Amino acid sequence: MLKILGKSSSINVRKVLWLCEELGLPYEQEQYGSGFQATDTPEFMALNPNAMVPVLIDDDFVLWESNTICRYLAGREQRFDLLPGAPRGRALVEKWMDWQATELNNSWRYAFMALVRRSPAHADPEAIEAGVAGWNRHMAMVEAQLSRTGAYIAGASFTLADIVIGLSTHRWYMTPMPRPALPAVAAYYERLSERPGYRLHGRNGTP
Amino acid sequence: MLKIWGRLNSLNVKKVVWCAAELGLPFERIDAGGPFGGLDTPEFLARNPNGTIPLIDDDGFTLWESNAIVRYLAAKYGHGSLYPDDLQQRADADRWMDWQATVFNPALVPAIYNLLRVPPEQRSQDAIDTARVKVDRLASLLEQHLTGRTWLTGKCFTMADIVLGCSVHLWLNLPLERTSRPELERWYAALRARPASTEALQLPLS
Repeated sequence: MLKILGKSSSINVRKVLWLCEELGLPYEQEQYGSGFQATDTPEFMALNPNAMVPVLIDDDFVLWESNTICRYLAGREQRFDLLPGAPRGRALVEKWMDWQATELNNSWRYAFMALVRRSPAHADPEAIEAGVAGWNRHMAMVEAQLSRTGAYIAGASFTLADIVIGLSTHRWYMTPMPRPALPAVAAYYERLSERPGYRLHGRNGTP
Repeated sequence: MLKIWGRLNSLNVKKVVWCAAELGLPFERIDAGGPFGGLDTPEFLARNPNGTIPLIDDDGFTLWESNAIVRYLAAKYGHGSLYPDDLQQRADADRWMDWQATVFNPALVPAIYNLLRVPPEQRSQDAIDTARVKVDRLASLLEQHLTGRTWLTGKCFTMADIVLGCSVHLWLNLPLERTSRPELERWYAALRARPASTEALQLPLS
C-alpha cells in the first residue's frame, strides 16, 4: 500500500491526500513535520535529504516534491483527465502547477505566517501589507483565468492544476485580511466544494 | 519556427534555449525583459498574463513558465531521451526540476540579484551572505546525490540536468566563496562539454 509521510495540515501534503481521494487510492499516512515526528533525523533524511514533507513511498520507490508526487500518481493511475498525456494539454496544466509553486505560493507566505501562524519573525506591518497586496494581485490573475475558462483553471474540466490552486484559494479565504470581491474565484470555491476530497483535505476548517 | 521571448542572461530563458538546442530545434529568440523591457505591453500580456520571460510560440501554441516549457519541448520532441518514458524515471527528473524551482532557485536568486543586477552601492551584503550559506548547504546535498551518478537521474542525461544545470552555472560563476565540491564540478564540466549548452552557459555572467 502507498505510504504518505507528512502532517495533514501542510498545504503540500494536502495536495497528495486530496489527489488520493480523487483517485480512490488507499494509503497509510504517518504524521511528520513541526509539531509531529521530526524530519531532520538520519532515517527521514535518508528518504528525503531536504527534510521536507510530503514523501511518498510506493514499494521501493521513494518520491518527494509535492507537485511531482501528484504528476506521478495521476500517471500511475492513467488518469489523463487529471493530467493529459499529449504534450500541449499536459503543458497547459503544468504551467499553472508551476505558477502555483513558484509565484502564487511565494506571494502569500509572509502574510500567511503573520496573520494565521502569528509568527514573531513575520511581524513587520509594511511587509504584511505588501504581502496581502501581492497575494490579492495573484488571486486577481486566477480570477481572470477562471473568467476565461468559465469553470476550472486549465479549461472546462477538473485537473491537477485545480488541486494545487484550489488549496491556495482555500487558504486565501481563511486568512483574516482585506480581500477584493472576485466573483469567478468565489464560484470556483463553491464548485470545488462539491468534491468530497476537497471537503476532506481542502475546505475542512484548517487554513 | 519556434519563437522564444526573453533576454539570454535570464536563468529561466537559458533553460529553454539550451533545451531547444539539445533537441536540435531551430528557433528565433527575441530579446525581452530587463533592459529590453516589453513585458507590460498589451500584446505581450495577451500571450502571457503573468508578464514574465521566457514565453514561447510553437506553431501557434503559446506557453509560459520555464519548467513547463522545458517539459513541453522535451515531451514533444525528446520523448524517451530528455523526457524519460518510464513513469518513475520521469518522476525522478520532474522532482529535481521542481526542487530547482521551489528550493534551489529561491535560495540563489538574492545572490544573483545583488551581485549581477544592481549597482555595487545598492548591494545588500546580508542578502548575499544568507544566500551563500543556504546554497552552499544545498550544494552539499547535490554533491552527495551526484556521487555514483553520471547525471542527476543516473546514467541518462535528461531535462532535469538542463534545468538544474542553469542554476548551478550561475552559482559556480558568481564571485562568492564556495566549498569545494568535486562531484558537482565534474557534473558541471560534463554539462559545459555538451555542444548544445554553449549558448546558454556562456561566460562571463551578466
